[in-house]
Amino acid sequence: MRERLSFYIKRDSVLHRLNPLTKLTLTMALILIAFLSPWYWTPHFILLAAVLPLSFAGRVFPEFIKTALRLILPAATFLFLMQAIFQPVGETVIFKFYFLDVTRESLMFAFRNATRIFVMVSSFTLFLLTTHPSELMSDLSRRGLPGQFAYVIISTLQILPQIQAKAQTIIAAQRSRGLDTESTFFKRAGAIVPLVGPLVFGSFIEVEERAIAIEARGFTSKNLKTSLQEIADPSFERTVRWVLILLIIISALLNLWPS
Amino acid sequence: MLEKIKSNFNTQTWVLIPIAIGLNIAVGQIVLVLKLPVFLDSIGTVMVGVLCGPWAGALTGALSNVIWGIAFDPGAFPWWPVAFFIGYMAGRMANWGFFKSWWRVVVTGFVIALTAAIVSTPISVYLFGGITASGSSFITAYLMQTGQGVLQAVLSTGFLTEPVDKITTAMLAFAIILGLPKRTISGYPNAKNVETQTESKTELYIALGVVVLLILFAVFLLQGMIASLSG
Repeated sequence: MRERLSFYIKRDSVLHRLNPLTKLTLTMALILIAFLSPWYWTPHFILLAAVLPLSFAGRVFPEFIKTALRLILPAATFLFLMQAIFQPVGETVIFKFYFLDVTRESLMFAFRNATRIFVMVSSFTLFLLTTHPSELMSDLSRRGLPGQFAYVIISTLQILPQIQAKAQTIIAAQRSRGLDTESTFFKRAGAIVPLVGPLVFGSFIEVEERAIAIEARGFTSKNLKTSLQEIADPSFERTVRWVLILLIIISALLNLWPS
Repeated sequence: MLEKIKSNFNTQTWVLIPIAIGLNIAVGQIVLVLKLPVFLDSIGTVMVGVLCGPWAGALTGALSNVIWGIAFDPGAFPWWPVAFFIGYMAGRMANWGFFKSWWRVVVTGFVIALTAAIVSTPISVYLFGGITASGSSFITAYLMQTGQGVLQAVLSTGFLTEPVDKITTAMLAFAIILGLPKRTISGYPNAKNVETQTESKTELYIALGVVVLLILFAVFLLQGMIASLSG
């Protein structure tokens, strides 16, 4: 269990100062182009020429590498091995292992897929490292995202540690009363209800109180709300966003082009 | 349409959604502690779907994956349509009256499982080439080695692994909702979905028939797989 629920690291950098929507568009563009572009080396190129330099620009390179490797390396390695071994494509056999053939084609296929996944997860990680969730939400609600969505995202990130702590308390309490959570399969399966029950009941009781509390603060009011924090959005960033969207469209079209 | 969607959302719904997402994650972790072969990480989504309606359930599911992506692992983002349809299907089935007695809940769980398997297949095939980083991919890989197409192999794996998890989830959600005081539930838009009925004799026969059919279906699936393995 992690003690911190957001990846965000507070630093002063070009990337931190960008408008959250620009960063979101950039992230989506990197991922979509990596997946859509028909050229074989695109994902590798994006990883080396865009994601890594951006992590330097954001001054979060050490944290970025650490988080990215912790999150993706196990998954990407597993994915690579599984696909290289089991993907039944291609003729050029490189080596045989009992009934399994590892071919040149399946290796290439696996390498590109693993890199695509790496681009996807690492660019999201970079986005989350340099953007505070509440900054993103207030910018998006200023642009017309209903306030309820912002409420759900932000309050979930706040409630989650509380619910996890409650779950730990319930596990400890039930164990101290002699609940068997470690022996045979049926005993462990039987322990679900006494553990999950109190957690869900307790949380449901809270709902009504919270509903009254936020209703009293004008939650469903239709009036425009003012924001305490102004988020800059210079016009050149708007141009950057349009260019990125154009790039996505171009790579999608290239992908559809009959080759 | 828009009116129908709106009717799923009152203030109580909006307050329940974050708590339900929290429950998804916390219950998932409890099950991990117990080392059981299920996930149960969509129980909150199913409960919102049942109590508030299909669209509220769908939103809970999708946002649940977004939160999982923000807080723990960005690799969870592309799977949001699966959670979306789990919540939607739970609400739809409950609206059709399939959350009022234990056998109906089993059917709901089964339908949710089929939906999850079907929705996750294209994501798995187009994003990962069929083999993802989860343990059940060994089954997929094995099926592909025996000469099945990618689509077919991924779909069969889903049909094999999903039902146990989703039926357990639905049953547990049902048990919890039965245990909640009526006063707590009454504030949600679709609270009438969970008013339990007393079962008549004919109902019981239908129940038995449905369960037998489900078992036959499972056996049929298994046989098909065995045939395709040996053939």
